[in-house]
Amino acid sequence: MLFPTATFALFFLVVLPLSWLTMPRPHRWRPFIVAASYVFYSWWDWRFVFLLAGSTLWNQLLAVAIHRSAVPARRRLLLVVALAGNVGVLGYFKYYDFFVSSTDNLLAVVGLDLPVGLRSLVLPVGVSFYTFMAISYVVDAYRGDFEPVTLEKFAAYLSFFPHLVAGPIVRPGELIPQLETPRDPRSVDTSRAFYLIATGLFKKVVIANYLAGAIVDDVFGAPGQHSSLELLVAIYAYAVQIYADFSGYTDMAIGIALLLGFRFPQNFDSPYTAVSIQDFWRRWHMTLSRWLRDYVYIPLGGNRKGELLTYRNLLLTMLIGGLWHGAGWTFVVWGGLHGVYLAAGRLRRGRKEAPPTGLALWRRRLVTFHLVCLAWVFFRADSFGTAKDVLVGLFTRWDAASPLVGTGVVLAIAAGIASQYLPARLPYRLMERFSRLPVPAQAAVLALVLMVTSVMGPEGVAPFIYFRF
Amino acid sequence: MAVETRPRPPRTPARRRGRTTEDGRRALTAGHALVIAVLALVLGSLLNAPGLHKSAYNQPEGWKRDVALALTGPLADVSHALLLDRPRKLLQAALGRSGEDRIDTTIALPPATPAATTPAPSTPPATTPPVGATPPAPQKPRKQAFSPRRKLRLWIAGDSLVITPGWAIVRAAGRARAILPLGSGPDARVATGLERPDVFNWFSYVAAKARTLRPNAVVLAFGANDDHDYMTGVPEGVSIGSFGSPAWVREYRRRVAGMMDTVNRAGAFLVWIGLPITRSETQTQRFDTINAIVESEARKRRGRVVYVDTYATFASDSGGFAQYLTDDAGRTVLVRAPDGVHFERAGGDVIARMVLRALNEKFDLTSWRRKARR
Repeated sequence: MLFPTATFALFFLVVLPLSWLTMPRPHRWRPFIVAASYVFYSWWDWRFVFLLAGSTLWNQLLAVAIHRSAVPARRRLLLVVALAGNVGVLGYFKYYDFFVSSTDNLLAVVGLDLPVGLRSLVLPVGVSFYTFMAISYVVDAYRGDFEPVTLEKFAAYLSFFPHLVAGPIVRPGELIPQLETPRDPRSVDTSRAFYLIATGLFKKVVIANYLAGAIVDDVFGAPGQHSSLELLVAIYAYAVQIYADFSGYTDMAIGIALLLGFRFPQNFDSPYTAVSIQDFWRRWHMTLSRWLRDYVYIPLGGNRKGELLTYRNLLLTMLIGGLWHGAGWTFVVWGGLHGVYLAAGRLRRGRKEAPPTGLALWRRRLVTFHLVCLAWVFFRADSFGTAKDVLVGLFTRWDAASPLVGTGVVLAIAAGIASQYLPARLPYRLMERFSRLPVPAQAAVLALVLMVTSVMGPEGVAPFIYFRF
Repeated sequence: MAVETRPRPPRTPARRRGRTTEDGRRALTAGHALVIAVLALVLGSLLNAPGLHKSAYNQPEGWKRDVALALTGPLADVSHALLLDRPRKLLQAALGRSGEDRIDTTIALPPATPAATTPAPSTPPATTPPVGATPPAPQKPRKQAFSPRRKLRLWIAGDSLVITPGWAIVRAAGRARAILPLGSGPDARVATGLERPDVFNWFSYVAAKARTLRPNAVVLAFGANDDHDYMTGVPEGVSIGSFGSPAWVREYRRRVAGMMDTVNRAGAFLVWIGLPITRSETQTQRFDTINAIVESEARKRRGRVVYVDTYATFASDSGGFAQYLTDDAGRTVLVRAPDGVHFERAGGDVIARMVLRALNEKFDLTSWRRKARR
């Protein structure tokens, strides 16, 4: 069930009133929201509901056991078992075929054959997201940062449908306390909720889908057939497409949660205005970068064990981040590139520099954006061959015609990037004005947005890029 | 009798102003949120009624479609009566997308003619030997030659199954140098086929494209969305029955044959990519029915249409579905997408090689290399 569909609209129109009606009695609300979330999840494939339920039981059991145990060695063992279960599920569904075929191909070089068959498994939607949330819960219980709650509350936390399939990755301390006490039905931040849903819908349906169909898919499908200008513009277009697609989805998720009375953390903060790669990761998929920092980078030693190990930790963290996105070597290279960027940035920060202003600020923004774009080439390419064709073609076909670089494409890219440079106050002013409108006028504004989005967007509903991860 | 009432909170200025969020915006009640959502969806549905009605019409046959049509039909009438469909039409016109809400089920096919009498395009005319002369040794017909200076114009179109192989063909065409793929890539429309011209009318589209693009060869892939009991655009008085029934096969055959003739009459050679084996046995059986129709129609048009059989290529050694295959270098490569139907890049490359082989059999795409070497 995708957010921008009539099916979801009907589902939500049923869930919204029932959620508020049951809200005063949390022991009724929580089973209701778990049931609703399972219905939402089963829309893709009902069999995977058992995987979600199994993950819930497994992590709850082990989090409680860790919390109850006072013996450090036993707690550690239980944590390892819990993590092995989570990583095992993720590894089996997401990486099994990737590792087996990669090993098989490696052994084939020396004439050996791997006697293990491939499984051709279907990846359960959202498994990467809810597994990371489950790991947070168990690790926080181990660290003593968060006391395990009842199974009912944990099930509601893990399966809550607004974040279930593509995040944001909400931490137990952020959501579970909200699930424990009824939300106030007299004070719902409707203006922010509707603003986020409307802008998210527009970003996804109009900007992201348009750019995908108008240039990105064509160019990355056969980069050898396109001019250098088309390749360059397609890279910029993909940078905007993936931002509009993913931030559009999380905007909608945050807005939907707000209508139900819940606050999710921010996931994007104008990432293409970043002045360094470190700054970029503070603005892009913020909940994932936080997760990687707290559950991978810091446990690896962070920056506490000397310069060399810090670089190693940065690189390892980003490689894991890359692999989390997809079972493919191009994703590993994407993560590796960001690891190298971060390490180089850290090396550079060793030299004392005043914060950039004026031209220097814009130069750093430009350099950061292009470094990010270079990494996006590997993220989007379906193979190293395609990535190579894109990068080589950037320098070799400037004399060829560029029919795909039309006004619409340029405008969509410009709008996608310029929107990130708008004053931070502007959305708040818009929301403030919207909130002062009478209820029917608010509905009319939203209806107009629906109409414009429907007309301007390509036909059909394209899946979200991050659903694959 | 005294009526017990709850004590009311005093009407302070703050209460009159209503609640606000932390940022100072007006917060509303959950009831208001629901009212706004319902009103926005109702009004949005009225503004978008023609588009919703088309979406409902395009749905697969079944109760969901019946319900959607029963709701969106009157909605479109009300929207039209209240002129609420005007803003959508105006915006569509401004964007050059007028007519997108039109439901078109017309199947315009060339009149059926005996397959053997249609001349094969790009085949040299048969010459009659003079009376009394020694008949010359049977010669292979000379192939029409193409080169980088005079490229074979190739158009690739179809449903979602053409996308990955289509791009692979475009890449391979680039290496072959004597082929010019028309358009910016495969002209694919997801979830379409020959069964439902209302969803996308391939019959009029292919005819128009063949006229404007003037391709020498066309690659088509259809059928993956055609394994249903329901078709639109069926001639008056014809009932098609269930999938695979004689009436269904007759009607689908008419469409396949018509599509082939449309391409041939525009002077183009047609390569039709057959449906592959899929992870689902039931689906594969249904695809077999479609493949059999396409293959037999292609056989009737030998020299003008070639059917590329992908079934065996993508089967495992045991004859079942294979997600991975071993390539020429002995590496295990992923050829099928996780859905068990579509292709991955390596699978597309396999099909591209088959298509190029078919084109090379029909046309001379390589002699320019020998001439260039001399």
